[in-house]
Amino acid sequence: MRHSITIFWRLKDNHYKIYVTKCRDCGKTSSFKRLRCPYCSSKNVEYLESKGLGELINYAISYYRTEGSEQYLPRVIGLVRLDEGSVVVGEVTDVDLSELSVGMRVEAVLRKYSSEDPNGLIYYGLKFIPVIKR
Amino acid sequence: MMVKTYVIGSGVTRIDRHYDKNYLALVDEAVSRALAASGLDVSDIEYLVVSTAFSETMLNQADPSTYIAQNLGFRNLKTLTVSSGEVSGAVALDYAHALIKAGKARKVLVVGFEKMSEYPSWVTNKAYTKILEYEVEGIKNVTPPDYAALIMSEYMRRYGVSREDVVKWSIKMHENAVKTPHAQLQFTISADSLGRALRISEPITMLDSHPVSDGAAALLVTDESATKKTGREPVEVVDVESSVNLPVYLRDDITYFSATAAAYKKLSTKNEIKLSKTTAVSVYDTYDIYGLLIIEALEICEIGKATKCLDELPFLNVSGGLKARGHPVGATPLYQVHELCELLSGASWAKYDGDVALAQVMSGPDNNAWLILLKRWA
Amino acid sequence: MRHPGSRTGIIGWGTYIPVYRIKAKEIARQWGFDDRITDSIWIEEKAVASADEDTVTMGWYAARSALVRAGVDPSRVGAVFVGTESKPYAVKPSSTIIADALGISTRKLSTDLEFACRAGSEGIRIAVSLVESGTIEYGLAIGSDTAQANPGDVLELTASSGAAAYLVGPANESVAFFEYLVTYVTDTPDFWRRDGSRYPTHGEGFTGEPAYFHHIVSAVNMLMSESGLKPSDFDYAVFHQPNGKFPLQVGRMLGFPKEKVLPGIVTPWIGNTYNASALLGLAKILENSKPGQRILVAPFGSGAGADAISVLVTEKVLEKVGRAPTVEELLSRKKYISYAEYAKFRSLIYRNLG
Repeated sequence: MRHSITIFWRLKDNHYKIYVTKCRDCGKTSSFKRLRCPYCSSKNVEYLESKGLGELINYAISYYRTEGSEQYLPRVIGLVRLDEGSVVVGEVTDVDLSELSVGMRVEAVLRKYSSEDPNGLIYYGLKFIPVIKR
Repeated sequence: MMVKTYVIGSGVTRIDRHYDKNYLALVDEAVSRALAASGLDVSDIEYLVVSTAFSETMLNQADPSTYIAQNLGFRNLKTLTVSSGEVSGAVALDYAHALIKAGKARKVLVVGFEKMSEYPSWVTNKAYTKILEYEVEGIKNVTPPDYAALIMSEYMRRYGVSREDVVKWSIKMHENAVKTPHAQLQFTISADSLGRALRISEPITMLDSHPVSDGAAALLVTDESATKKTGREPVEVVDVESSVNLPVYLRDDITYFSATAAAYKKLSTKNEIKLSKTTAVSVYDTYDIYGLLIIEALEICEIGKATKCLDELPFLNVSGGLKARGHPVGATPLYQVHELCELLSGASWAKYDGDVALAQVMSGPDNNAWLILLKRWA
Repeated sequence: MRHPGSRTGIIGWGTYIPVYRIKAKEIARQWGFDDRITDSIWIEEKAVASADEDTVTMGWYAARSALVRAGVDPSRVGAVFVGTESKPYAVKPSSTIIADALGISTRKLSTDLEFACRAGSEGIRIAVSLVESGTIEYGLAIGSDTAQANPGDVLELTASSGAAAYLVGPANESVAFFEYLVTYVTDTPDFWRRDGSRYPTHGEGFTGEPAYFHHIVSAVNMLMSESGLKPSDFDYAVFHQPNGKFPLQVGRMLGFPKEKVLPGIVTPWIGNTYNASALLGLAKILENSKPGQRILVAPFGSGAGADAISVLVTEKVLEKVGRAPTVEELLSRKKYISYAEYAKFRSLIYRNLG
């Protein structure tokens, strides 16, 4: 079993949608649903659902081969600044290496993270693609 | 009267892919050398602190400290295993330091080991990725060299630094490794190979990244009472400091290692020291770009200018750093301390007459940074 | 005459076409077909799902666009149906994954449906009945497939990937309401896939006259005779489209001029998207339609059955077209790949795993 069923199921919120945690105390935003503000540790936080749109601020083209993810090489790993302000790290897919550019608009879409084990679970989660609607 | 702690002896193995030796054989080699250097016997040890990042993942061994004690043939002691990712060795040393300061032990054997070559690369790579946050990065196939690549791209863009500039770090590391008998990669490299170098995560290539390493390092850490027994000058472990950083994607500036900087501010204030270009430092260059950012965070070089000041640092990573000396993860920080002890006691190829030396250790891209301050025997 | 279903309509629609394309002639040459075959059935290129896409991921995108166009909160959707013949799991519904990923209410009916290429439209008919009976407020019907193409078989030229989704709700909120719906079903073994078999088997010529043509013609004739409508009452006719030629042929047989059929044809440029086939054609027409126009939609599924649905466009359609990517925008978003990349994406190459 590659990933725990329970872990993946429990993380659905953070995999099927991008949430932004906003701290009511220090005012800062951070990506993903968190129990506490990562900046000031306050529990006085609220969650916003991100529209999944943002700007690619940095990217790396990865040939690093890890067991179970060979089918998707090379991967593009990017830092995306969401329109809501906070930054997420994630894979950028459906993109030619030559069309990648810092500043390009991207949107989050549901894709497979891994499904190599033919008898195991298929792990779905969000990746980024060049935005379709401009 | 404040209790002081000392490294009275240390021993290491050559770093390599030791296909023919298991972890116990490597540990025995390092421990034998450390005991010989310190004039002590296995039966003198009160506490065995073992440091390893991946023994459970790759060697199927939980708590190897128990089995190391059994194999050393001495069981009348306390043992523990420190498994703290890439900073395991620093944590293990801090634990020994604290035990002695608290009066709970007087002679502690700290041993670090790792066997990164035990599996093919695609399995090792998956294990190494565990140093990042699983639920955020691991699950999404974000890996350690990807962060190094993002950070290198940002640094080059912001400060107008070229690839050739960055790889100067690796070139210097290899020059130092050639002079270091226990180093893994004892050959020089040149920027000319950049165009052909295998890419790991662009722009990070094999020329920028630490190798796959097996090794073991052992330190005898004691209070003042054992210092007379040694042939080599003991080195004082003055202080250990640490700080944690924000996740990479939440940092305002991914090119500034603020955890290393914060730990340095605490350490330098408390101990009234300031690093200069001629201070002996051993830093955690898992990738050349990280090495550059560390010396900027330690205020040895100006921000954005590390590549220009490399030639002015004669005692930086004299054994070749993680890049060329090697990176047997759980053992690496202990190699660093062993090498600084050699420098301070005159046993290194480099002739150093400074009073202090600093080891910097970190987890991934400065997620958790540790500093160990050492001082020459007075 | 008020027909059951006419109190319901399409509130929102959405589509998805993968970005990758492979030229049909490249496939033909790979296997030594006379490459003139592609012109004879009118297929130019087909859409290929990437290694990280499947029925669930494509269906999710189409459904999200449908909800965005509808402007309906996901918590008010009372049913989710996914019509597909390429379920990622033989047992575990795709519909629940898509539903949770879109934040749809847990209080709902939900299932995956199989009827070769027409399960998506059966899902529409079921959603219509649920809304009409007052059981649910809104129902989501999705047709999505990553069609299994047997390498070297003529169907490999056309079997492709895509998705379409329709949110069904009250007629007075709709962009187009269902004026009349019928379905004609028999046991006709023209095309099937046994459990465990990687690729379907088909009867080649038999899939034509006794299957595709007979069922579509029968369904449409049934609709015309019961409703009193004639081909001249319709502005458009969109059919299931296994290739570019068949819908033109069946349109001719039914008395529809070419100009009414061509606007709904998409297969020559994206291949046969199976459960999304006719529904993608319908979306393209909606995106170019005017209020008051009447559209005939006739999906077909092997095994075999066909629906005939008469849809009347309202003025609400105009403001919703631009809220999500259109079929034309998705058609123009493309990158060509080689047969080798296609083989990698579609797992045609055996790899020793583990």
